[in-house]
Amino acid sequence: MDSRLRRRLERAFADRLQGPVNQRQDTTEIRIGAEGVTDVMRALHDDSEFKFEVLADLAGVDTGTEMWVVYHLWSAQSPDWLRVIVGGLSRDDPRVPSVTFLWNGAEWAEREAYDMFGIIFEGNRDLRRIYMPPDYTSFPLRKDFLLPDDAARSPGEGFRHMEQTHQPAEFLRQPVVRRGKDSLAPNRGPRQ
Amino acid sequence: MTETTTRSLDDPDIWVDTPATIYDAVPPYPPRTEREAEFYHLRDGEMLLNLGPQHPSTHGVLRVVLKIDGEQVVDLDPVLGYLHRGVEKICENGDWHHAINQCDPLEYVASMFSEAMPVLAAEKLLDLQVPRRAEYIRVLCWELNRIASHALFMGWLALDLGGLTPILYGFIERDEIVEMLAAVTGQRVLFNYLRIGGVNGDINHDFMSRLADWMGRAGKQIETTTRLLNENEIFVRRTKGLGVLDRETALRTLCTGPVLRATGVPYDVRRAHPYSVYPELEFDVPTRTEGDSYARYLLHVDEVRESIRIIDQILHELPDGPVMAKIPRLIRIPPARAFVAVESPRGQYGCYAMSDGTDQPFRLRLRDPSFFNLQAVGLLMPGNLIADTMAIMASLDPVMGGIDK
Repeated sequence: MDSRLRRRLERAFADRLQGPVNQRQDTTEIRIGAEGVTDVMRALHDDSEFKFEVLADLAGVDTGTEMWVVYHLWSAQSPDWLRVIVGGLSRDDPRVPSVTFLWNGAEWAEREAYDMFGIIFEGNRDLRRIYMPPDYTSFPLRKDFLLPDDAARSPGEGFRHMEQTHQPAEFLRQPVVRRGKDSLAPNRGPRQ
Repeated sequence: MTETTTRSLDDPDIWVDTPATIYDAVPPYPPRTEREAEFYHLRDGEMLLNLGPQHPSTHGVLRVVLKIDGEQVVDLDPVLGYLHRGVEKICENGDWHHAINQCDPLEYVASMFSEAMPVLAAEKLLDLQVPRRAEYIRVLCWELNRIASHALFMGWLALDLGGLTPILYGFIERDEIVEMLAAVTGQRVLFNYLRIGGVNGDINHDFMSRLADWMGRAGKQIETTTRLLNENEIFVRRTKGLGVLDRETALRTLCTGPVLRATGVPYDVRRAHPYSVYPELEFDVPTRTEGDSYARYLLHVDEVRESIRIIDQILHELPDGPVMAKIPRLIRIPPARAFVAVESPRGQYGCYAMSDGTDQPFRLRLRDPSFFNLQAVGLLMPGNLIADTMAIMASLDPVMGGIDK
């Protein structure tokens, strides 16, 4: 645990932090809101006291009640991983600023989070589905997307259809292109 | 009397009316993003060329739409998802032990690393101390697997440039190691050997005798293989100065592993954020500064040497003791979050795990290094000839199993 990092984070982002700086094992964890992402990430990346140059991971999380985007950062100046949790995103229309202005490699990771959770990264110029086909409407890693064999968890029904259609924001609704009976062939690739 | 009919290619009836296929480069829907609109807008003289998804040079089922002007690549759009099977969702629906063999086929060339992800994550969530012998055996298996993977990389790179010989040598090397690991794990490719709290079984005599046999000539064999390529004029001229990535770009593109270290950044998770028993072992992190395909190749050779050095130390220091910690069969992990990372042959393999107190992972996010490394093709290919795109893509060493998850 890196207590110097904790003090620095508390000093630099006093007005941005939601809750205390958590430290467990080799990870320091802070929690911010979506409005602070741009400032905090820029400061963590650029400031000489932080210099978190490596974005180790970018993950979307659905807690069942809200959406998170979780960043893991690495800096040569600290022995800890820094976990930045952007919490409190609404499940109906989760929006968070993109970090592609700092790490352009985050583009695909954000596309993945969009594909799997429907989180919209504002500022990502290529936010389309990356794994699933373009006419797909569900977000598979959401907690209310149940697999057919997951009967034990489904409330009451015992069996629910695999694809639950979510209602994404209006501008993301794409024209659906159907190609007759072949469009539901199981072995098609992501774009046809 | 049977009636025979002759059919010719001129007969329109013999062609089955097929729907639009994946081989149509232009998608049958309006552009969804700014970037897609820009890519599919062709200027004078430009055309789209579809590469893949079943193409030997794309190392799996990767499809790349190339925008070309004559022989030159102007832009490209990689299309992923052909191997997507939703591993993260499957892991959430099984218990922690099931996640191990679900993660196995992700990085199918070096599956000892991808199967380590749920194992290390669960151990970190449980604050579990793994017996030292198990840690040493893990590191031994990881390093052997790294060599097997690197041996194949050298062969693949040469194969994509038109040289058939090195991949045969690469497979000899890989086969010896894979047989060795099969002796202890029982599997050749998807080992399923690591367990939460240790490893599945202790190493046996068969494994040790094969390993000792191989160690005796490993160094020499590497030299033989690399002598084929290191100063091969065709190879050098087709890789040197091609696909040059600089330090800043590599960091911004989130490249890790040999791709990043070839640009001069000594970021190796084994040293940058040590795990397992790596702090006790002596090895260097080789780096190069050129950042081109040739530097990436040479870096792989250096890493093989370092891995042999590590294996040598482990064989001298392997402690006695149990190989499994005492844990219950059914693991209920108290609510917590953990991030673990290992240095796989392709870079940093990461895993972010959340547990909610049940016996199943609440969320298991897998961070695959080749997913991020592959993004660099979008920066490296434009301006090069189509034939050179192969050398560049092979030097990034993507494995589609992990990229598509």
